[in-house]
Amino acid sequence: MTKRVAIVGIGTTGFRATTPDVSYRELTYEAATKAYVDAGIEPKDVDSFVSTAEDFFEGYSIADEYSPDQLGAVLKPIYTVPGDFIQSLASAYMMILSGIGDISVVQGLSKASNMLSLSEMTTFAMDPIYNRPLKESPHAVAGMEMARFMHESGATREQCAKVVVKNKRNALDNPLAGHGVLIDSDYVLNSEVISFPLTQMDISPHSDGAVVVVLAEEKTAKTLSDKPIWIRGIGWCSDTPGLETRNWGEAIYAQMAAEMSYKMAGIRHPRSEIDFAEINDEFSYKELQHLEAMRICRKKEAGPLTETGGTEITGEFPVNPSGGCLGVGNLYELNGGHKVLEVVRQLRGEAGKNQLKDITTGLAQGWRGVPTATGAVAILSN
Amino acid sequence: MALIERYQKTTDISYWEGQIPMSYIYTVGRAGEKFFREMMNGRIFGAKCESCDVTYVPPRTYCEKCFARLEDHYADVGGKGTVHTFTECHEAYDGTKKQKPSIVAMIRIEGTQGGIVHWLGETHFKDVYIGMSVEAVFKAKKDREGGILDIKYFRPIK
Ligand SMILES: [Zn+2]
Repeated sequence: MTKRVAIVGIGTTGFRATTPDVSYRELTYEAATKAYVDAGIEPKDVDSFVSTAEDFFEGYSIADEYSPDQLGAVLKPIYTVPGDFIQSLASAYMMILSGIGDISVVQGLSKASNMLSLSEMTTFAMDPIYNRPLKESPHAVAGMEMARFMHESGATREQCAKVVVKNKRNALDNPLAGHGVLIDSDYVLNSEVISFPLTQMDISPHSDGAVVVVLAEEKTAKTLSDKPIWIRGIGWCSDTPGLETRNWGEAIYAQMAAEMSYKMAGIRHPRSEIDFAEINDEFSYKELQHLEAMRICRKKEAGPLTETGGTEITGEFPVNPSGGCLGVGNLYELNGGHKVLEVVRQLRGEAGKNQLKDITTGLAQGWRGVPTATGAVAILSN
Repeated sequence: MALIERYQKTTDISYWEGQIPMSYIYTVGRAGEKFFREMMNGRIFGAKCESCDVTYVPPRTYCEKCFARLEDHYADVGGKGTVHTFTECHEAYDGTKKQKPSIVAMIRIEGTQGGIVHWLGETHFKDVYIGMSVEAVFKAKKDREGGILDIKYFRPIK
């Protein structure tokens, strides 16, 4: 029998468009302090740490070297995953399964407001030989992906706009969210076109913030927490980075990551066995594309489901009750971390005004953003 | 400081600005060398994996599906394809607004599973559709340098 591992502590700074008064290290320190208090531990009790960082986004050539201090991880086993937070979560989970220790900690951070040339840094993620010479924005990749997804799924710009309206409204009732606003679909449809069909309002604005999560093996978890949130399944997957050969219409990386996590969790019918999901909606259409990829609805169903309110907080399958990336902000490598945090808050019954009722299982999903095709999924239960 | 007290004036907050000049050369590799030499002759080449029946454009020296070596399996794939997806992009790579939007498309090269991401020319955005047949328009031979920009753009086949 495999060991069971639970989330026993969460800490966050909350998420805001700018955080000029604190350094990136202080953001992590604040989240770490809260997570350790929440778990009732001290850093010395932690057996291993995993941080999440992308060198360019942090502004260091070896950003991982700068992660121990503010986590209380100096002279402790630590390494950095340059991917989505949920990939780091998988590493920390495996450390416990493999017997490295009983307690591990995962950290993620966004200080996007410090990135003065954010657009160019993202452009630098494109293939230097075949794509970058065109000097096109990575938003062109999102625009093309949105067009192909709409072509294959029949989803409309109006249905994508509904995702924006829903998530930004959900964010209004989430004190952690930085981009909540009440707007209607027309506002989204008439906002500035960035790369047709993608408009300014279809794109998540960025946010700063940090999340730290404490994991513990079953016996320790039950001692530490009254409300351990169990990791029942986890999965991750990458499609080819090549824009020329990848699948543009379906998010295969999300499908494969989800199937891996469902298999581990023993889930056969995700729609009925999972109660709600916090999924990557960095661009409006991604919420619909990811819903279909992860079999939460059938192909071509995500648009109509959204249109009829099925993914609202009051709907049959709430999606991004927290406000998602659209309402909370794009947190880059921390995106998956925010999703995990919100699923835990819901399962603990700590989601305030946005609290869902009668829930036992939630799905958190991360995607690394354009131009990547990498995603990760975690299934959590109370 | 950060946890209890807060700065009350933005002007009191200090920061340090740093730049990293990034210069790099990217070796195109053996398959890239073949691709760009042929491109200078106005031809588009791919690499075929016989066992998977997959042709990669741009060519590669390996098959991503079965991991076979494809080095001697280059083939002229012609200059024609279809629009797999496309966009009209109004934003420059540095985030500023473009003077004039461009039409960017992923062109699926005929008979292959690969393609080329490039501009569409000699057409209007409203006339472009997924599945539209297009062909590569190369720069004049003397202006070709062995890069993806040796293709000027793709245009609709009339
Ligand atoms: Zn093969």
